[in-house]
Amino acid sequence: MNIRLNGGTVDIKSPPLTSLLTVLREELNVTSPKRGCDQGGCGACTVLVDGTPQRTCLTPVAAVDGAEITTIEGLGDSENLTAVQQSFLHHGAAQCGFCTPSMIIAATAYLDGDGSAEPEAIQEALKGHLCRCTGYQKIISAVSAAATKSEFDLTSMTASPNTVILPGGDT
Amino acid sequence: MKAVGARMPRYDGVGHVTGQTQYVDDVRVHGMLSAKALRSTVHHAAITNIDTSKAEAMPGVKAVITSKDVPLLEYGHLSGLGIPADEPLLAKDDVRYLGQPIALVAAEDEDTAQAAVNAIEIEFEERPALWDVRKAFDADAPRSHHWGNWYTHFEDEMDRRQIRKGNIEQAFEDADRLVSGVYRTSAIEHVPLEPQVSLVTPEPDGRLTIYSCTQALYFSLAVVAAHLEIPMNRIKIVGGTVGGGFGGKVDTATETITALAAMKANRPVKWRWTREEEFLVSSTRAPWHMEIIDAVTNDGWILGRKMLTLHDSGAYARFSPYGLTKHSFHHTGAYTIPNLHFDGYVVFTNRTPSTAMRGFGVTSISFAVETHMNRIADILGIDPYEIRLKNANRINDTSPNRIRYTDPSTVDVIHAMSNATGVELAPAYAGATRQPREGDMLPDHLVSQLKTEGH
Repeated sequence: MNIRLNGGTVDIKSPPLTSLLTVLREELNVTSPKRGCDQGGCGACTVLVDGTPQRTCLTPVAAVDGAEITTIEGLGDSENLTAVQQSFLHHGAAQCGFCTPSMIIAATAYLDGDGSAEPEAIQEALKGHLCRCTGYQKIISAVSAAATKSEFDLTSMTASPNTVILPGGDT
Repeated sequence: MKAVGARMPRYDGVGHVTGQTQYVDDVRVHGMLSAKALRSTVHHAAITNIDTSKAEAMPGVKAVITSKDVPLLEYGHLSGLGIPADEPLLAKDDVRYLGQPIALVAAEDEDTAQAAVNAIEIEFEERPALWDVRKAFDADAPRSHHWGNWYTHFEDEMDRRQIRKGNIEQAFEDADRLVSGVYRTSAIEHVPLEPQVSLVTPEPDGRLTIYSCTQALYFSLAVVAAHLEIPMNRIKIVGGTVGGGFGGKVDTATETITALAAMKANRPVKWRWTREEEFLVSSTRAPWHMEIIDAVTNDGWILGRKMLTLHDSGAYARFSPYGLTKHSFHHTGAYTIPNLHFDGYVVFTNRTPSTAMRGFGVTSISFAVETHMNRIADILGIDPYEIRLKNANRINDTSPNRIRYTDPSTVDVIHAMSNATGVELAPAYAGATRQPREGDMLPDHLVSQLKTEGH
């Protein structure tokens, strides 16, 4: 068996019924898909299989033999963030960060499929992904902004409209 | 002051959005073993027999740890404050909640470790379990804990957290009416996306490197060192990256037992909980039972409060005495009540031990107090904003534990709420401030509390 992983071809040594999650994390050392529940409930292990988000914990590796697998390592790196990654950073949509790779994977697929900036549509697209930190609002804002904008100015993040001016101090 | 109010990128944000942030389960160490725990299958029982010999003889098994392997079996997170410990690191003579750890197996892979756990022979003699904090004080209640059914080690060995302030009898005599209420909250699991995990590597120089998802690194350092009876300088803890905690990763859940396994096997060991273990076994927010009786006047002053709180600590004390203490200090909420009679008990049941969670001890009392404020307003036919503004903490008022407020924000917060919701306040209340009480806002019953010795 082999898979196309983030552009390169890799051979798989694990037995065919091994989950794709275990293959990625333990055999191939690709650790961005997270083992949050190992039973298809949390979405943190999601990667793109031929462009479609899929839960790797429930996917036997044999089922993706020859497929194109994209993890967040295959999107932008720290020097070259995609619009979705920039937007997550800009909106504070990543807090503890554990669900973030899968959220960005799912959001990327959504926007690649011409998903709209409507919060309800984004909510529908991300509904299989649990986040326990943010309350989801910042994630939805980040995806919504990325739907209409391709670049975010991260070097000079500015004061928000809710800026608190402390007595005796500037902002 | 360039940062306040500004949108600042997270210091670890780039790692998060590129998937490069390294959590404990992402750390790779050569020769690492996997661990699985033998856990209690019953809620309350004596352990009458345990035999690990078959597990130890299995191929691939490198270490089996039981209570016999722990140098100091009982040590609590609050032991450093002089609060006695009650919880064994691994169950020895009895088990007091479903899922309590009894043994840990470290093996070449998780399947082997689990098979070895299944091969441990154990026998329980079941005991009746206590579930309801309200029944803990009954003469025929099941006994849940070796100290009795509630914690007995507050200062001067008192068995409750007690607050007495002012003259409660006088307040109840002077009241136009009494308003009572009973409020209960339920256990809540923190559900971090990252389950509990640690990885311990024995180093060639005799030190231990511990990769931990703890929220409280120095707690964990002290607790591991105490159980292992080794100096802290033999432990290096790598932490700081927590995949969600919310209070549930303040307990040192895995580090110490994993360290013992790593030392016995002389190999790196990772112990990673499943989601099922996280739900069933990890500590929760406590359920609370709160009873309030307030002495009130018809025009909405609260003269006095009698309160009883039963804090469901689960099977062991952990941080509960501390949580109940915070709870007691906040039991008037953001309001000033000069005459108080508060009794709070940390009650032991056979539930999973509870622990900190966002607003430890205070979330429960805030729920009870605010609901009770609405109940009083409703019964008296008074506007809920106005009753709050009347009793709101002001400068120089004192808290239940006699802290003098120097700058309380209650009035401003309530004004912000009424503005946001478009509620029109009567002029006397719209013009209220946090400044010291005077005139109509300083009725006779509040004069004496201003003279209470505060600090």
